[in-house]
Amino acid sequence: MNVLITSAASATAQIITGALGSDHTLRLTDLPRNASGDIIANELGHESETDQLVAGIDAIVNIGYQGQSGSNTHLMDYHTRRMYNLLQAASDAGVKRYINISTLKLFQDHEENLVVTEKWRSDPPAEDIELLVAHMAEYVCKEFARDRLIQVVNLRLGWPFIGDSSAGPDDTAAISHGMIGESITAALVAEELIQWQDIHVQSPVDHQRFITKTAARLLPELAGRLSS
Amino acid sequence: MKILILGGNGMLGPWAVKALQDRHDILLTDINDPYPAYKGEFQKLSVDDVDGVVKAAEGMDIIVNLSVLRPHRKIAFDVNTMGNYAMMLAAREHRIKRVITTGPHYQKVGQQYEEWDFDLNPDMPSAPGTRLYAHTKALGQEICRVFSERHGIQVITLLYYNMKHSWNLGGPEAPVVYHEDMVPFSTAWQDCGTAVQAAVEVPEERLASKNESFFIFPDLPHRKFDNEKTRRVLGWKPRYQVERLWNKDSRNPESNLTEAF
Repeated sequence: MNVLITSAASATAQIITGALGSDHTLRLTDLPRNASGDIIANELGHESETDQLVAGIDAIVNIGYQGQSGSNTHLMDYHTRRMYNLLQAASDAGVKRYINISTLKLFQDHEENLVVTEKWRSDPPAEDIELLVAHMAEYVCKEFARDRLIQVVNLRLGWPFIGDSSAGPDDTAAISHGMIGESITAALVAEELIQWQDIHVQSPVDHQRFITKTAARLLPELAGRLSS
Repeated sequence: MKILILGGNGMLGPWAVKALQDRHDILLTDINDPYPAYKGEFQKLSVDDVDGVVKAAEGMDIIVNLSVLRPHRKIAFDVNTMGNYAMMLAAREHRIKRVITTGPHYQKVGQQYEEWDFDLNPDMPSAPGTRLYAHTKALGQEICRVFSERHGIQVITLLYYNMKHSWNLGGPEAPVVYHEDMVPFSTAWQDCGTAVQAAVEVPEERLASKNESFFIFPDLPHRKFDNEKTRRVLGWKPRYQVERLWNKDSRNPESNLTEAF
């Protein structure tokens, strides 16, 4: 499968690139100020460069949270206008699936004892620009799905990301690098998805904070590894 | 009250100013020079200039955002989305309690609603779709919602569709056509302006939440859209009913006997 990964210089994208690289043909892109090496510099503008970027692509993995840095206005612009441009180009090119990597931090203000699932409305704080723009990116994606222009998987990942170390006692929403890669690998090929599909994923840890039954149901490759 | 008007030199701005200027202190801002008849305070300012908007809002009681940009893929986001972000940052910075924003009806009820349903009302969940104008305005409204919930800022969103000249019911984009199909959400420009006044002056206790939207149009018989909340909550009374567009009784008689009996 030909997969485009955005914000490719970010730490999250690098985890994903490492997980997908052996099974898929990857095209990496980022803004010119971040791009180097194999990463294609692209502004995600509304001209033909973005059309060329998505040509021949089967699926896009978009880093919708913490893929970019900069001023508040830059982040707002990136996660609204540039997301719109990317989705428009992808829709025009017939890209089949768009996986938006978002975050379960959008629910962090809910108390931990609450059974938060995909059926809960997210609650972004206005004062945290990274979470606000992650929410705005979700909004843009959802409208493209609503218009049935592209199928979107909104994958909200837990935090923190755990590499080789194990989760600390307070990391009740942690997700391992391995689980991140596996969930995206599964989301690329999952068949039982609706046009707009929220999926929450975190690793099974003590006092696990978020319910992952939707992921277990829709991403069967993960089922045995998720908490039931 | 002291009112900062953003994008006040567009099509709606002069009508809003006319309704407000004898009752409130206005600072009009726009990227273009003010229209010739305007004699009040003016500052050249782009709504996406976040620092400029924050500065201009100092000492204000209310911000009214009338800015609009429809077709350009970048500027539409700059104005319609970033403009509301700038406005809400300014309101938070200066503890401004009320902001009023404006936009098209389909930032709330997009084509999926409009082509199927009736009794569409402004409390329905937003479903703007991907049409550029609707989408960018809806993003701006969503930013307002988040700031409103977090900071207790009263957001009033006035939604319009088809504006008409009161004298002939023509609009800016097409010649007037009487007694044929019409946009069942048509409003005279004067009434569009007085709706802004109503939103500025409505007492807080009449608003059910910190984030309220209103459809601005007179009573129309189609039942496609619902304006009941606007009349009840804002107390807005449109002067023009645009009746010649939807009532054949108002046409000239076939005999052309138009003199009074």
